[in-house]
Amino acid sequence: MHQDEIPPGTLYLLILKALARHGELHGYEIANWIEHVSDEVLQVEEGSLYPALQRMLIRGWVKAKWGVTAGNRRARYYRLTPLGRKQLEVEVSQFERVVAAITRAIQTA
Amino acid sequence: MDWFRELGRRLLMLVRRGQFDTDLDEEMRLHRELREEEQIAGGLSAKEAHYAAHRRFGNDLLLREESRDMWGWNWLENLLQDIRYGLRQLRRIPGFTTVAVLTLALGIGANTAIFTLVDAVMLKSLPVANPSQLYRLGDNNNRGIEVGTQKGGSFVLYSYPLYENLRDHTPEFRQLAAFKSNLSDLSVRRRGDSAAAEPYKGEYVSGNYFTMFGIRAFAGRLLAPPDDSSGAPRVAVMAYHTWQQHFGLDPSLIGSSFNINGIPFTIAGVTPPGFYGDTLRSDPPDFWLPLAASPDRWMFRAEFNWLYLIGRLRSDVAPERVQARLTVELQQWLNTHPEVIPEHDRGDIPKQHVHLTNAPRGVELMQTDYATGLRLLVTLSGLVLLIACANIANLLLARTAADRPQTALRLALGAPRERLIWQKLTESILLALAGGAAGLYVAYAGSRTILLLAFRGAHYIPISPRPSLPVLGFAVLLSLITGVVFGVAPAWIGSRSDPGDALRGATRSTTDRSSMVQKPPAILQVAFSIVLLIGAGLVTQSLSNLESQHFGFVTEGRLIVDINPSLAGYTADKLPALYQRLEDALPRIPGVLSASLSWYSPLGGNNANTRVYIEGKPPDYRDVAPSWDRVGPHYFETIGTRLLRGRLIDERDTPASQRVAVINETFARTFFPSEDPIGQHFGIGDVGHSGDFEIVGIVEDAKYQDTRGPAYATFFLPLLQTPPGGSLAGWVGAIELYVAGKPESLEPSVRKTLAGIDPNLTILSVQSFAEQVSENFNQERLIARLTELFGLLALILACVGLYGVTSYSVARRTNEIGIRMALGADRRSVLGLVLRGALAQVVAGLAIGIPLALVGGRLLSSELYSVKPYNAVNLSLAVLILAASALVAGLIPARRATKVDPMVALRHE
Repeated sequence: MHQDEIPPGTLYLLILKALARHGELHGYEIANWIEHVSDEVLQVEEGSLYPALQRMLIRGWVKAKWGVTAGNRRARYYRLTPLGRKQLEVEVSQFERVVAAITRAIQTA
Repeated sequence: MDWFRELGRRLLMLVRRGQFDTDLDEEMRLHRELREEEQIAGGLSAKEAHYAAHRRFGNDLLLREESRDMWGWNWLENLLQDIRYGLRQLRRIPGFTTVAVLTLALGIGANTAIFTLVDAVMLKSLPVANPSQLYRLGDNNNRGIEVGTQKGGSFVLYSYPLYENLRDHTPEFRQLAAFKSNLSDLSVRRRGDSAAAEPYKGEYVSGNYFTMFGIRAFAGRLLAPPDDSSGAPRVAVMAYHTWQQHFGLDPSLIGSSFNINGIPFTIAGVTPPGFYGDTLRSDPPDFWLPLAASPDRWMFRAEFNWLYLIGRLRSDVAPERVQARLTVELQQWLNTHPEVIPEHDRGDIPKQHVHLTNAPRGVELMQTDYATGLRLLVTLSGLVLLIACANIANLLLARTAADRPQTALRLALGAPRERLIWQKLTESILLALAGGAAGLYVAYAGSRTILLLAFRGAHYIPISPRPSLPVLGFAVLLSLITGVVFGVAPAWIGSRSDPGDALRGATRSTTDRSSMVQKPPAILQVAFSIVLLIGAGLVTQSLSNLESQHFGFVTEGRLIVDINPSLAGYTADKLPALYQRLEDALPRIPGVLSASLSWYSPLGGNNANTRVYIEGKPPDYRDVAPSWDRVGPHYFETIGTRLLRGRLIDERDTPASQRVAVINETFARTFFPSEDPIGQHFGIGDVGHSGDFEIVGIVEDAKYQDTRGPAYATFFLPLLQTPPGGSLAGWVGAIELYVAGKPESLEPSVRKTLAGIDPNLTILSVQSFAEQVSENFNQERLIARLTELFGLLALILACVGLYGVTSYSVARRTNEIGIRMALGADRRSVLGLVLRGALAQVVAGLAIGIPLALVGGRLLSSELYSVKPYNAVNLSLAVLILAASALVAGLIPARRATKVDPMVALRHE
């Protein structure tokens, strides 16, 4: 099975989307969700989630809270803040603009 | 607001750094474990699952660092790490650290102490409201009473009527205040106290003086305009330091009654702490009294100019316009008051002007006096700091070289160069800060000593030796700069070391690069030291020349007692009787050889001068007015001034006898260049008086005012003979005693005798003539002592530096020396080898330093008294001292080199 690396800059978008869909997730769940919804095409270098999550914590897009997993293990759960919700819209429209532009560029050829 | 919240989150993270790390760790571990379990469930072996999970996760260490970097605190982390490491390093080598911190403490302390003085004298404004709005009318410090036109046409001293006129016609001033240019001696006794009156300093000020400065009373109230009118009840204001030091902050003192010069005054209030009036000086006023309370009513006439004027300007006016307006007002006033400028000077009225000077520091008396001296001291202390820096750089370089194998190892292991440089820099900045902290102690002690030296004889100095905020800032900044300056070179050189070189063990060497870079600091130290030593020699010689010059009187065995009978209520008619009693009683004190009275004594800070009219000669108004004094019988014998011709003033010169005068050599030369002065007549006041005084004697020149220049032309009149119509009655102000033995030891019996004559006669001061003269050299002494101290400091530092370099090179060359000795070199040649190296640096340092010192000496020459800046004796002495000290500093390690055992040395690695 062929796996593509995710385009740079879209990691934030994917994390935000994951949290918007599921409310509360820990890091492992976020990585799995990204892989799963992209039909395993997109794969993150899983560790790189964590610096990204730190940046999002600083920006105030997400909040973190320790909780317990179904398997009864301690995990840090991330949740969107109102600011994060707004950021998701910004990231989505930005992504769509970029994709549209690239698509146009490819088709005019 | 977002960035603000973000900053809050970042700060929170900083505080919970430990928690953050464990959280991140746990989170990442969980991630990998869950992945591992998933893989195992997918059929992989435990080992394979473990590796797969790790592969998919990425470099754990790098990711963790990246996560932490996101928060932007890693520079701080690095810094803290460097500091911790630096402190550990410094603790590891306590000898080095102690020497370095002490060296820096001396260097930074000396500079901070000098800066404390500079800050207090040159930078600090008066402790009043908005000092920048203050403007003074006048641009120099002429004091006393002036009549007629003023020096250079610039009006500095003003009469009372002129002050009133300017005050009432210059609305640009919010307030314009006036005060007497000299402080007055007061004789003060609290009413109801049985103790005798004590001498204090007072200043007569206009009623709006405190309003103009915008200060409020600390207790009670300050003077107000209604207090400054002739009919008002007499009130005075006390200075806080006087209240504290002499009256123990007694609150009942406010509103109580005091006898000041025999007149009852009510103490209205106390000024705030720190307020010292309009002029920074030692012994500032203890009391402020309204001008209207001044006893000398005659001074309020239009022709006597004796007031300084300072005003607060409105913020919306241009000072230049006000200055032009004041000049117009002044000239109009002079034109309409013919009594002020004498007929022959009226042509100069258009030249008279007011120079309005911004006066945030009030009257700049000390600022003017000390400017040159302080500049010199700043330069010298700067040199000491440079030497200290060179010394530390030297020590650090030696250490850098010693650390080379370790540095090389770290470089080989991949430590970034800039990180190593930062670390070394952190170490030197830490050292500098420690030195700065220790330096503040040195500065505090140093400032106290400097103040005592600079204000010898003062009872109160309105300057605190405690470092102020600017001083603290200065010290910290200086430490940081010092740290960077002496740290950069060693840090850079250290980071250049070649990893391969050191790992190969290339520490055997005869000469190496590090000793090449170590030599320049040592050479510079020698150069700066010789500059300081030569400078110290010059100023010390100058001071000694000043002190031991021929003054025209003898200071040994003389005691001077300052009194002021007018404060005890004496009037002109009662004076002859007082003089008689003093002249009878004083010589009878056991130990007194002779006693005399005079208006004032030499070099006590007083001067009087007046124009003279020579009988038979046309008046010459261009001449400088000669000085004059009034003296009683035996005056010249008592102070040791020699009679050259004729006779001295003695008991024959009574109010009834022919008026006589004794003149000095310069007076004779100036006014009688070709004829015999004895028997000639002259007078003061105007031409009509030119026959008043007959010259009966000529005495040698003596210096009364200026210790550096030649003596002024001076004439002396008998104490009992008043010039006809003269208003300046001749009060006795000083008693001179010629005694056997130590002059100071006679003080109790002199005080007892004076109290026996009149207990109300307040003694203003008792001191030896030598001490009185000595206080004239306070500034010169300060500079000489500090330069000597700095010179000594520089010498010690340079020797430590040389010692360091030499012993380091001996340690490095142990192998080589061992080989030489094994090959037959004797101890003498080894000694020579090491010493030659040290002496080469001394010679190089001298070659740089001596020309520098000669240039410096030329710049200094205006400050020197009968010392030539090119002074062979002084120069050779300085070179000799330096060379001898350097020899000792080099000899210690050189002797160690000769004790090297060839066998041990060859095995040494």
